Amino acid sequence: MSVDLLTSLLQTTITMAVPLLLAGLGELVVERAGVVNIGLEGMLLSGAFAAMIATFFTHIPLLGLVCGCAAGALLAGLFACVVVGLGGNQVVVGTALNLLAIGATGVAYRAIFGVTGAALTVDGFALWPVPLLSQLPVVGALFDQPLLGYAAFALVPLISFGLFRTLAGVKLRMVGENPRAAAAQGVAVRFTQTAALLACGMLAGAAGSYLAVAYAKTFVEGMSAGRGFIALAIVIFGRWSPWGVLATSLLFGMATALQFHVQALGLAIPYQFLLMLPYVLTLIVLAGYAGTTRAPAALGTPLDEA
Amino acid sequence: MKCRFPFAVAAFSAAIVALVATSSADSQPAGKPFKVALLSPGPVSDAGWNALAYEGLLAIRDQLGAEVSQIQTKTPAEFEEGFRDFARRGYQLVFGHGFEFQDAAAAVAPDFPGTVFITTSGNTVRKNVAPIRFLLEESTYLEGVLAASMSKGGKAGVIGGMEIPSVKSTILAFEAGAKSINPDFKVVTTYVGNWEDVGAAKAAALALVQQGCDFLFHNADAAGLGVFQAAQQSHVFAFGSNKNQNGVAPEVVIASATIDIPQAFVQIARAVQGGGFEGKVVRKGMKEGVVSFVLNPQLEAKIPADVKTRLDQTKAAIAAGSLRVPTAEF
Repeated sequence: MSVDLLTSLLQTTITMAVPLLLAGLGELVVERAGVVNIGLEGMLLSGAFAAMIATFFTHIPLLGLVCGCAAGALLAGLFACVVVGLGGNQVVVGTALNLLAIGATGVAYRAIFGVTGAALTVDGFALWPVPLLSQLPVVGALFDQPLLGYAAFALVPLISFGLFRTLAGVKLRMVGENPRAAAAQGVAVRFTQTAALLACGMLAGAAGSYLAVAYAKTFVEGMSAGRGFIALAIVIFGRWSPWGVLATSLLFGMATALQFHVQALGLAIPYQFLLMLPYVLTLIVLAGYAGTTRAPAALGTPLDEA
Repeated sequence: MKCRFPFAVAAFSAAIVALVATSSADSQPAGKPFKVALLSPGPVSDAGWNALAYEGLLAIRDQLGAEVSQIQTKTPAEFEEGFRDFARRGYQLVFGHGFEFQDAAAAVAPDFPGTVFITTSGNTVRKNVAPIRFLLEESTYLEGVLAASMSKGGKAGVIGGMEIPSVKSTILAFEAGAKSINPDFKVVTTYVGNWEDVGAAKAAALALVQQGCDFLFHNADAAGLGVFQAAQQSHVFAFGSNKNQNGVAPEVVIASATIDIPQAFVQIARAVQGGGFEGKVVRKGMKEGVVSFVLNPQLEAKIPADVKTRLDQTKAAIAAGSLRVPTAEF
C-alpha cells in the first residue's frame, strides 16, 4: 500500500469516527447514570440541522457548534423532563424523540429553504494543522483536523478522569448502579441524571455539528443515517469505558473507510458485502475478547422501581 | 402513570376527531375533484430526483386544478400501504417515484380499477399501471463522452445510492459513452447503500479520487451532495444528476443530466383526467425534450472546442435516433 493510500485511509477513518466518538461518549456518561438514551439519533440529527442553519446564516462555524450543542441539549432536556421528572419509559420516550427530530428538522428545513430544498454549502470549520506533526507521512492526518476533532479525542481522558477519579463521577456511577443507595447517601439522583442527559445531548449535538459543518458541509434530511444507533452499540461494545468507546469508534471508522477504498478499487465483490464490513468486523473483534465488565446495574430502570 | 392515562386517551381521541373532521371538510366534492398523489422514496427537499417529482405534482395542481398530496415512503410495505391509502380515498392518479415501486403498484392495482398507478421507471404494465421510462441514459452517455475526452488519468468514479436497475442503467450508459472515446477508459462504481448519507457519499467519492478518478458521476439523490463537496475539496470535476445541479458547486460541476419531470407528469395527468390513459410503457428522452444535457456556462470555457463539437454531434445523433444509447434491460 502506498503512503498516499494509507494517509487517505486514516483521514477517512478519523472523519467517520469523530461523530461516533462524540455521540458515544455522551451516551456513555448518561448510561453510567442509569439512563438509556435511545434518542441519541434524534439529538445528533437536530444538532446537525441547528449547526448548519446557524453557520449558513452567520458564517461563523463556532456559533453553529454552539447552536448544535444547544439543540441536542434541548431535546435531552425534554427527555429529562419526561423520563427523570415524570418517570416515563426510556425506550418509548427516546423513540418518540427520534421521530420528533426527523419530523421537526424536515419541516423547519423546508420552511426556511423551500419544499424542494436548496443544496446548501458552507465553508465549515477551518483546519488547525499542528506545525511539524501534520507534515509527517500517514499519521500527519491525525494532526490536521478542525478543533472539534481534537476536542473529541481530548474528551476521552477527561471523561475517564471525571468518571473514575472525581467525587462527582463516583456519585454519577452510584446513581447508575443503585439509585436508592445513592439517594440514601445524599446524592441528588434526579439532578445527576438530568445533568448527565444534558451533557449527553450537547455531545450528540456536537457530533451532528461535526458531521454537517466540519465534514459534509451541507444538510440533508435524515443525514445522521443511523449514526446515533451505531453510537449506542459502540457504548456496549466499548464496555461502558471511554477508552473502549474510543477504540470501538476508531475500529468502526476504519472499517468504513476501508470498505469505501476497497469499493474504489473496482474489484468484483458485491458491494453489499463491503457495506456490511464495518458491522461484521466490529462484531468479530469485540466478540473476541470476553471481558468481565457489565452494564450499570440500574440501567434503564425507572426511578420509582429502582 | 395511572392517573395520566385517561387524559392521554382523551387527547388522542380529540386529535383523531380533529383529523377526521378536517379531512372530510377537504373532500367536500363539488362535482368530482381530480385528485393526484405522489409517493416519494426520499425527502422531496433533495434538490434532485425527489424535488423534481414534487415540482411535477405542483405543476399538476396549478395547470390542471387538481387536489394533490405527497408522502415519503421507505419500505416496500409502505409503498403498498401508501398506494392503497390514496386509492381508497378516491385519488384517481398516484405516482410511485422510482423503479422500486412497481411491484407494489401491480399488487394494489386490481383492487382499485378507478385509480391509475404510475411508476417513474420500470416495466410493469397492467390495465391501470404504467411506467414512465425516463431515458436519462441518453444524457449520461454524453457525460461519459465528456469525461473520457477531458480526463487526464483515464478513470472516472461513480457514486450510486443503491444498486437498482434504473441507477445501473445510467452508469452503463455513462461507461459506454466514455468507452466510445477511449476503449481503455475505466469507470469504477461505489454504492453508499442509501440515498441520504451525505457524509458517507463524500467519503466514497474521496476514496475514488484517491484511486485516480478525476471525474465523478453520482446517482444518489440527496446523498449526492456529498460528492460535490468531495469534488470541491480535491479539485476534480463532477456531474449533476436528474436536476440541473450546475449551480450547486459551480466551480466543479461541469454538466448535468436533467429530466423535465414536471412536463411528463402533467402530460400523463392530462391523459388520465381526460380518460385517454393507456396502460403501456411511456418512454421520454431527448427527442421528446424531457431529458437534457446541460453544460455549466461557468466551466464551458475549459472544454476544448473539438470536444464541444463532438458533444454536439453525439447529442444530435441521439435526438435524431441514429445513435441508440445502450441501456440495461429492465
